[in-house]
Amino acid sequence: MNQGRVLHWFALLVALGAAIVFLGLLTDTIREGLPHLTWQFLTTAPDERRGGGGIAPEIVNTVVMVGGALLVTAPLGLVVAIYQAEWQGRVHDGGVIDQVRATWLSVPSVVVGFIVYRVAVAWWHWPLSLATGGLALAVMNWPVMVTVSISALKRVPHAYREASLALGATRFDTVRRVVLPAALAELIDGWGWALARLAGESAALIITAGINVSAHWSVWGPGETLAVYIWYVRTEGVGADAGGVAAATALTLMMFIAVTLWLSGRLADWRRRAGH
Amino acid sequence: MAPNIRTESLTVSYRRTVVLRQISLEAVGGEVLALIGPSGCGKSTFLRALNRLVEETPGAHVTGRVFLGEMNIYSSAVDVTELRRRVGMVFQAPNPFPFSIFDNVAYGPRLRGVSDAAELRRIVERSLQEAALWDEVRGKLRRPALTLSGGQQQRLCIARALAVRPEVLLLDEPTAALDPVSTEKIEELVSNLRGRYTIVMVTHNLRQAARVSDRTAFFDDGSLVEVGLTRQIFTAPRDPRTEQYLTGRYFP
Amino acid sequence: MRERWREMMMTRLTWALSGAFVIMGLGLMASVLVGSWPILMAPHSLGRLLSPLWDPLQGQWGILPFIVGSSVVTLLALCLAVPFALASAISVSRMLPPVVRPHATRVLAALTAIPSVVFGWWGLQMVVPVVRNLGGGSGFSLLAAAIVLAVMLWPTLSFLFAEALQSVSPSYVDASLALGATPDQTLVRILIPCAMPQLINAFLVAVARGLGETMAVQMVIGGQVAMPQGLLSPGATLTTQLLTDAALYPPGTRGHAALDVMALALVAAMAILVRISARWRVGT
Repeated sequence: MNQGRVLHWFALLVALGAAIVFLGLLTDTIREGLPHLTWQFLTTAPDERRGGGGIAPEIVNTVVMVGGALLVTAPLGLVVAIYQAEWQGRVHDGGVIDQVRATWLSVPSVVVGFIVYRVAVAWWHWPLSLATGGLALAVMNWPVMVTVSISALKRVPHAYREASLALGATRFDTVRRVVLPAALAELIDGWGWALARLAGESAALIITAGINVSAHWSVWGPGETLAVYIWYVRTEGVGADAGGVAAATALTLMMFIAVTLWLSGRLADWRRRAGH
Repeated sequence: MAPNIRTESLTVSYRRTVVLRQISLEAVGGEVLALIGPSGCGKSTFLRALNRLVEETPGAHVTGRVFLGEMNIYSSAVDVTELRRRVGMVFQAPNPFPFSIFDNVAYGPRLRGVSDAAELRRIVERSLQEAALWDEVRGKLRRPALTLSGGQQQRLCIARALAVRPEVLLLDEPTAALDPVSTEKIEELVSNLRGRYTIVMVTHNLRQAARVSDRTAFFDDGSLVEVGLTRQIFTAPRDPRTEQYLTGRYFP
Repeated sequence: MRERWREMMMTRLTWALSGAFVIMGLGLMASVLVGSWPILMAPHSLGRLLSPLWDPLQGQWGILPFIVGSSVVTLLALCLAVPFALASAISVSRMLPPVVRPHATRVLAALTAIPSVVFGWWGLQMVVPVVRNLGGGSGFSLLAAAIVLAVMLWPTLSFLFAEALQSVSPSYVDASLALGATPDQTLVRILIPCAMPQLINAFLVAVARGLGETMAVQMVIGGQVAMPQGLLSPGATLTTQLLTDAALYPPGTRGHAALDVMALALVAAMAILVRISARWRVGT
């Protein structure tokens, strides 16, 4: 069984090395962040002058912007995917929509932020705000939603559609009653991943949503998120315990992402079991 | 002269499920031994135990002894790769590597360090001729193997197995995925290889077993029910289960 | 009757939104192209753009330092990450017991969701001091950025490599072993060659992620706009410079157009990568 496996064992050794480095990164975050992670930290606003403070506004901003962007783009992406998969009959790999989707998907987030800044802030005179940041996230997420939806729809066996159409159902009925329920598990999975990705976004938001919070929360007020706060605290912040605050914020953000992925995974699994 | 291959109380289990129970069976040198039986009766596992490929499945556990000639292949002194060179195997679905025809056949010799171009060419040509494929692929050896038809691909797999000069050939339902014409060619090929190699062949096709094998063994639920001359098994089986299976009335 | 009306409305809705999607996507690309027009069309544009001098006060908008920064950091990061990722993929797909395998794959996938800013923070904490001690200087450098980026790319690459290796038909592995190949020979001669198109695709995905990455790099690279003098010298990349200067120059200024040129360079590089990767997919 173990003859001629030298390379395999060597690979395992190297992989273990990489895994240990990664584990170190995670435990480091936990060790530094956990002491700071108190109820007070989660429920108060940052206080730069006295150092420390909490991250409550950042949590709210993250949830609002990410949730808003997802709520708007998920149906938009689904509809574009439905047009290709259901109305055009098949997804043209290399068709116009597909090419635009693939290119758009690959645009770095900082470029999206830069363009949204020019259009929304410079031309329309929107302030650096939750609204502008949400717009940037939505622009970034639309092609993601199309991609996720297309791959979910592609996994629905063609026979389902034919069976429904053969029974005299319209295309719309087929999509609504057969295709979407069958694709729902994959869609939930994809939405969860998109949510996690958006929550970790920071480059575009630094440009469009600003790097501070206001005392009076508003959609048009500055919208620093958790990810941006980590960056701000570590590169521009002056507080004494910046390291601990950043670690605790990172821990909060990663837990938020982990819970999102876990929940969406469980929900998708539950749908899958219900369906088959 | 091709060697005998003989099992003594061969038992194979995957985790806690026993899939082969106490099989003692011998394939005589140069004969074609057919293994028949219902799906899941353990005949493929039996085949994979003869070249120790079964050990690659995690959780598999083998007891008992298997002799290739005089050598117990499960003894710890045996070099598995050397054993597998002596015992070639062809699988149910044709599985040529996505390389050229030449590289497929040359794969085995190259593993053993044969790198001389002329030598490789000779081996490839000889193996393809032996597998009755040479006339169809001569001059096209650089083409991708996957461009061949299913039947040609299976004969290519046989050539690939023959290229390492094995003494035993294990065929695991070699025609299950093929059309009748290709099936006939493979059967003809197996008949021609008889005598030079000891051939153990699993088949679902009873007529095929009747046409090409010298002796036939009937497996059921992990056990060997009976083994005998093919003519005898098909005309006068001793065990009622064999008869029921052969006449299509067997419902385990 | 109502059904037919509904069907027609749905057709129009999906069509209209798909049209909007295409227009908006093309609009994004057009936006950077139009924005960079004043610089691209100016006399001797290419020579001045590709000069190593970025000096806003003197009106010098050479973006060569950033192109060099982006290329060096990405390439070096991949050189560091690929061997580790390949080893991890081999371990996951060939060494771990099959019961553990799906869990390991899921863990790798979850690690890809760690925000890049966390890697940047970790780089500040761990990598920059180490580089400072080893190489002198401030520690903020191309090398630090490459190391942080490599750590960040490791889960993605490992996950995609493992997927590539697992996509190889098990019957090839069986056939190879049955011919007397050792597991190592099977790995080198069958698994890796057969998975090559997917492996290359995974590599291209990592290149794209590396080129487009902003935060993790920005936090440790030092943000120096002069031409970097070596791996230990601080520098800047196309993305980090876009981040720090985006709000600095209002639209219509030369500086804004220069940023557009950098955005255009990034978008073009990404588009090329997408094309190459599509070709590799077709090749399988």
